[in-house]
Amino acid sequence: MLGTDISLLEPVRIRAAADLGFDIEFEALDFPSCQRKAALNPEAYDVYDQCFHNLAIVWYWGALQPVDTDLLKCWDKVGPLTKQGGVDKYANRGVGDVPMNKLYVQPDHSLGPGATRYIAMLPTVHNFDSFGYDMRVFNGKVRPRESWGMLFDPRARGRLALVDEPAIGLFDAALAAEAMGVLKFDNIGNMTPAELTALFAFLRAKREEGFFVRCWRTGNEAASLFRQGDIAVQSMWSPAYYELGAATEFVRESTPEEGYRAWHGGLSVARHVAGAELRMAYEYMDWWLSGWAGAVMARQGYYLSAVSGLKAHLSAAEWAYWYDGQEAPEDLVGVDGHTIVVRKGAKRSGGSYLERARRIAVWNTVMDEHNYASRLWSRFVAEVNRRSR
Amino acid sequence: MTRRRAPVETSKRYELVATALRANIASGRLEPGVVLLEGPIAAVMKTSRAPVQAALRILEEERLVHRFDGRGFLVGRPGSRVAPIRSDIAALGLRISDEIDSALQNRGLWERVYDEVEAAVAACLIFGEFRIIESELGEYYGVSRTVVRDVLGRLHERGLIAKTPSSRWVAGALTAESVRERFQLRQLLEPEALRLAGDRIDFDRIRRVLRHESARDPATQEPADWSQLDRELMDSCIVRARNAHLVDLIRQNRVPLAAASRALTNLGLPADEIAASEYVMLFELIADRAIDAAAIYWRDHLAALAEKNLARLKIVAVITDPPIGVPYLTSHDG
Repeated sequence: MLGTDISLLEPVRIRAAADLGFDIEFEALDFPSCQRKAALNPEAYDVYDQCFHNLAIVWYWGALQPVDTDLLKCWDKVGPLTKQGGVDKYANRGVGDVPMNKLYVQPDHSLGPGATRYIAMLPTVHNFDSFGYDMRVFNGKVRPRESWGMLFDPRARGRLALVDEPAIGLFDAALAAEAMGVLKFDNIGNMTPAELTALFAFLRAKREEGFFVRCWRTGNEAASLFRQGDIAVQSMWSPAYYELGAATEFVRESTPEEGYRAWHGGLSVARHVAGAELRMAYEYMDWWLSGWAGAVMARQGYYLSAVSGLKAHLSAAEWAYWYDGQEAPEDLVGVDGHTIVVRKGAKRSGGSYLERARRIAVWNTVMDEHNYASRLWSRFVAEVNRRSR
Repeated sequence: MTRRRAPVETSKRYELVATALRANIASGRLEPGVVLLEGPIAAVMKTSRAPVQAALRILEEERLVHRFDGRGFLVGRPGSRVAPIRSDIAALGLRISDEIDSALQNRGLWERVYDEVEAAVAACLIFGEFRIIESELGEYYGVSRTVVRDVLGRLHERGLIAKTPSSRWVAGALTAESVRERFQLRQLLEPEALRLAGDRIDFDRIRRVLRHESARDPATQEPADWSQLDRELMDSCIVRARNAHLVDLIRQNRVPLAAASRALTNLGLPADEIAASEYVMLFELIADRAIDAAAIYWRDHLAALAEKNLARLKIVAVITDPPIGVPYLTSHDG
């Protein structure tokens, strides 16, 4: 199993091996290393646990094989977000790498939204990300109008961090610049070179004004930046909110009025897998959506694409908080099964699954200009992090 | 910026070769019936085969030489019914004026440096923006500042490099936008060049290529190298279009695309397995003289190829340490 630490969690591995009766190895890498290995060394793994947006790279290189939905027991249980492009007809579908556009294998072997029997990736965990902020910096107890533009609020100058990944953090910055009215993108999910030049000129100016603290690569780093009190506002991943310790009191997860930056994970099968191993891969995929793994994911704020088996593994209180957006009726434990991560009475920012899933602005995306954007991004991040040392 | 050079120096290489051959035909040193082959002439003129090929085609148009059943051309007007005289061209003692000889040799150095710099610049385009250090370039090839300036001037003309406001030369990044635009240009120009080439296409050569491909046993042999087939398309079809400017445009437009493709292959990314079969399909249409159908087929193929190339370009993002290998190209911010 090759993936990232978003979903390759040790309790999941142990339980899957016990339930399925075969050994499973996890190899968790950061996003860029993971996709590089997946594309260039497909024989080094059997199942690929990653995000839809990097199928643009990995699928094209012929590293993966189509997954036959007729052989999956769980396929009918997968919800409409990936199959139809939105949780319901009123949902904002978002721009960029909408998972549905990369889901189905088309007759010419390209990926597209037209439903066929074969898929490139079985949809699993997903979330709708925003930024987190220190509410003492912004209006104290009164909830401000939450907008991506808050990233560059003068009150947060010198206390800002972004996630270092060009398919992710770049969009946080772009959403902010557009929200502030500084830039306007024709399609924020597929920027032109000229738009990228303008975006990086904006970021350079903000760096020179002293806005940035640093750029991070893991949720742990994000959590520790908040705990150390270095940060007023930054990109955030859901699990990091549950590692804040005392900072939980003043860090708030935003519900930006422009909408969320969404992402969707999934499982794919390497091209070389066949025979008994291929059957094991299908068993693993079915197991993944059957509920137990989804319950673990829920305890760090991630949603599962198939919820029917989930309620058996989540308590009513957990379901109320994580999925329904209601006040937690009791204290709730996290992924490890014993640390309290949610206090009784707390309420998830943004409301229920449906409310959050309807408000997608843009998806994590590997744009046409991804190669060009990545190089501009790396240069920018190096400049930010050089000064932070 | 513009300096005037002597007319012989500014001539294209194939024109120099054509001038030399013309003079030797006029003087009778190359008598009617002498078989002219690219290779031996290239050796005598100390040049590559491509300009000789182009020169012979010019002489053919001027009706000074003509094709016959064998390889190469015969000196003399078409229909002159002379028997082929196969003699060693080196032994005929061709007269090549000093002026032309030195122009050919100067261009030799100039063009060799140019070709290498162009290849290096083109190969780095997919890895973002690079600065070109003029002094390093001169030192690396052991050439004067004048040569360096000429080389960079030509690269600039061809749109491969640009000057920053602070007068530094930079090789700009190959963006998806420019890949898309260059493929659009290919779709407009290449099918048209096929049509213009029409009867002048080297059909014998295309049929030979097809015979060779159909004899390939997929069980024991590697799939065909599509870049080889692409060279056949250029040499046997596209360059034969009766429009030298169009052919020049097509060549120039392909430079960064071809370089990007080579760079990707050098990174160890898998070859495009169906590309070769698409060339075979094209050549079959051409061999059947269905030139219109071939042109339409090629346009559609180029549209699909554009999408493939855009997808290929994305993966380069994971290569953070580009293999550049020449000291005069440095990372822009480095």
